[in-house]
Amino acid sequence: MTGFLYPFLEAEERDQESLLRDLAASARAKAAESAALREATLAANAELVETAAAEMARRFTAGGRLFTFGNGGSSTDAATLAGLFAHPPLGAPLPAWSLAADQAILTALGNDVGFELVFARQLIARGDARDVAVAMSTSGSSKDLTAAFREARKRGMYTVGFAGYDGGEFAASPDVDVCFVVRSQSVHRIQEAQALLGYAVWEKVQEGIA
Amino acid sequence: MSTPVLDQDLSSDLAAASLVLARLFSAGATLWCIAPAWEPHAQHVAVEFVHPVIVGKKALPAVALTGPDLVATVRMSARPGDVVLAVAAADQPDVCSVMRRAPAWGATTLWIGSGPRPGAGAADHVLWLGDPDPRLPATGGFVLLYHLLWELTHVCFEHPGLLAPETPVACTTEGSLADPSMEPAVCITCSDEGRLGEVVGPGRARTATGIEDVATVLVDPVVPGDLLLIHAGMAITKVEVP
Repeated sequence: MTGFLYPFLEAEERDQESLLRDLAASARAKAAESAALREATLAANAELVETAAAEMARRFTAGGRLFTFGNGGSSTDAATLAGLFAHPPLGAPLPAWSLAADQAILTALGNDVGFELVFARQLIARGDARDVAVAMSTSGSSKDLTAAFREARKRGMYTVGFAGYDGGEFAASPDVDVCFVVRSQSVHRIQEAQALLGYAVWEKVQEGIA
Repeated sequence: MSTPVLDQDLSSDLAAASLVLARLFSAGATLWCIAPAWEPHAQHVAVEFVHPVIVGKKALPAVALTGPDLVATVRMSARPGDVVLAVAAADQPDVCSVMRRAPAWGATTLWIGSGPRPGAGAADHVLWLGDPDPRLPATGGFVLLYHLLWELTHVCFEHPGLLAPETPVACTTEGSLADPSMEPAVCITCSDEGRLGEVVGPGRARTATGIEDVATVLVDPVVPGDLLLIHAGMAITKVEVP
């Protein structure tokens, strides 16, 4: 009714409605892309999931423990994965920790020996030949993660890498036993698929220790 | 574990939440993130906004709040105009309490979760996955939702003309007006509205506009932390905190 007097108000109203419609459509398109990528990634990595889970289950049964790590958002995804192993809503709790959880240790190592060694040094202190190291990364090439895998390999640990793009250094590294690669160019879609892969590994480990 | 489906309603809720979040950021809001049972989700949301993965996107103030006594931590942190985002089940006691109190702190609320849905009006924006599997929080479903929230919020920044807060944004099923207990009660004689306040001391309450004097004779006794519905300087009823 007021459009006659204030046409610009209605124009803004329409703009908002059309922006909201565009946003919703974009959300659905991205979610569909994420779902397709996750499905394709699970299918492509089904055998690797079995391999990694079988060895992890064997190690947990033999008293081994899990250490997870990553940088930024991936460090939180690694922490969620450690939390799933340690405090599963269903299933048996297994010893697992995120190596990014303690700010005193992170900042002490970062300050004294350099950020590249924040995870490797913790594996020197805590890791042994029965244990498992899991790193989550989108590039697969972060220096602190490759340094940690080098240390883990030295100590006889089982090493599992999650990467995106073409797998980065993880994919070609002799320090990485199993490398899951999410073949996407989007950091967000890579992380979403990695979360589901990690969950799939956990589920298989639970079957393996039963 | 199936991958979550983003239906029409959820995508519309995400769109509305994103536009509101973009508007509040533009007006100077800080985003406070809590996730008591899955703290890394709160940290993931915060790092997403503070240090975007896409080079050139604006860094925005977002903080994960963790540790014990979350209600007190959020109360101390939030300022009027801020946003509180929770990633939690509908029955998480600290989150229920924070969500109920947030209007008294002047904060807009956003609740991401799965399983049984919070009651209507429990938060300003509810982004919910219906799958009741308790393992869902570890499958990437929530990660997808807050990634999309971040992506859409930044799309909104490309429409500066729509960032002014004048036009209300409706969501499909939620909104603080949906719950009678949260509805600003309007006085039938003077049409002044009831506002939520949190008792901070004798005769003093915190509301969305600051600390103010309030007569509590109708609702006494009150103790700090009690929630009151305040009308024209008078507390007319206590509001139950879950």
